[in-house]
Amino acid sequence: MLSKLWNLFIGFTRASNLGFGGGPALIPLIKAEAVEKYQWLDNQEFTDSLAICNALPGPIATKMAAYIGYKIAGWLGAFVAIIGTVVPTVVVVVLLGSLIMKYSNSPELKAMLQAVRPVVVVLVGVTAYDMGKKSFPTSSSWGIAVVTVVLLYLTNIHPAFIIVGSMLLGYFLYGRKKKDVK
Amino acid sequence: MLTELWNLLIAFGRASNLGFGGGPAVIPLIKIEVVENFHWLSNAEFADALAVGNALPGPIATKLAGYVGFREAGWLGVLVANIGVILPTVLAVILLSGFLMKYSNSPVLKGMLRGVRPVVVILIAKTAADMGLGSFPNLTTWGIALATVVSIYWLKLHPALIVIISMAFGLLVFR
Repeated sequence: MLSKLWNLFIGFTRASNLGFGGGPALIPLIKAEAVEKYQWLDNQEFTDSLAICNALPGPIATKMAAYIGYKIAGWLGAFVAIIGTVVPTVVVVVLLGSLIMKYSNSPELKAMLQAVRPVVVVLVGVTAYDMGKKSFPTSSSWGIAVVTVVLLYLTNIHPAFIIVGSMLLGYFLYGRKKKDVK
Repeated sequence: MLTELWNLLIAFGRASNLGFGGGPAVIPLIKIEVVENFHWLSNAEFADALAVGNALPGPIATKLAGYVGFREAGWLGVLVANIGVILPTVLAVILLSGFLMKYSNSPVLKGMLRGVRPVVVILIAKTAADMGLGSFPNLTTWGIALATVVSIYWLKLHPALIVIISMAFGLLVFR
């Protein structure tokens, strides 16, 4: 049991600390640990777990850690795998963040941040573009996008309502039709 | 203090539980809570937090929760914000996995996720636009943006590397 927990901790720490680019970048690394190295799951089970996690909101890496950890070693396994995924990078980000707060008036830090902000804008823009390439298969998806822009810029509506509304719309537009065929 | 912690829990819990598409889909929702609802950070400061997050490995949503949580309420804030991000979805994954296994490939769920995807794209694009408003005070910053596009699409440089190079560049040029 203890070696199982240790392996979960090491496996998820390694995957998380080698993957740059947020949760989705960690998926192949988690697969390398869970399927190839420790053989906790086979390929099909891994694909199923990914489908389950994608059906739910929130960061993907912590959901994968919970699912696999729980399967291998119960609640304690889920806990240990999540700690491995989250704690090391969060501690480093907090330490860097506190440095930024402490030296917020230093000209050196200001210079570095001024240069890095355009980079972040582009990186987030690229994320939107890359996701967008896969997200507009039909003209109705464009319609949803246009309505979203209008609601975001012209009203004060919380995006929660737009998200829930678009899912209901998706259910009526895409979900039921295919169900009838089936 | 207690209301601050409660607000952190609510803000990050709400952002995480409405973000379909992993960490990057959660970023705009965190921005809306942190910048627009609770005014913990400005748009430019949020860009700084994202820069630090992008320079480090691991999931992005938990790093943002750590960064903002610490600023507002120290290590306890880090803990509470991360509980908001992680706990609800993790409980759902474990408790509902049997149920979800059955329905994760159903056309109903696929249809709903297809409906929400364009919304996620627009929210992320708007996050870039909002941060962009304060991030281009001079021509050099536009040059950095252009160099970033080239680095990503042609040189295929790793984003973490671009973040670090740009900071070194800023130290030399803007000081």
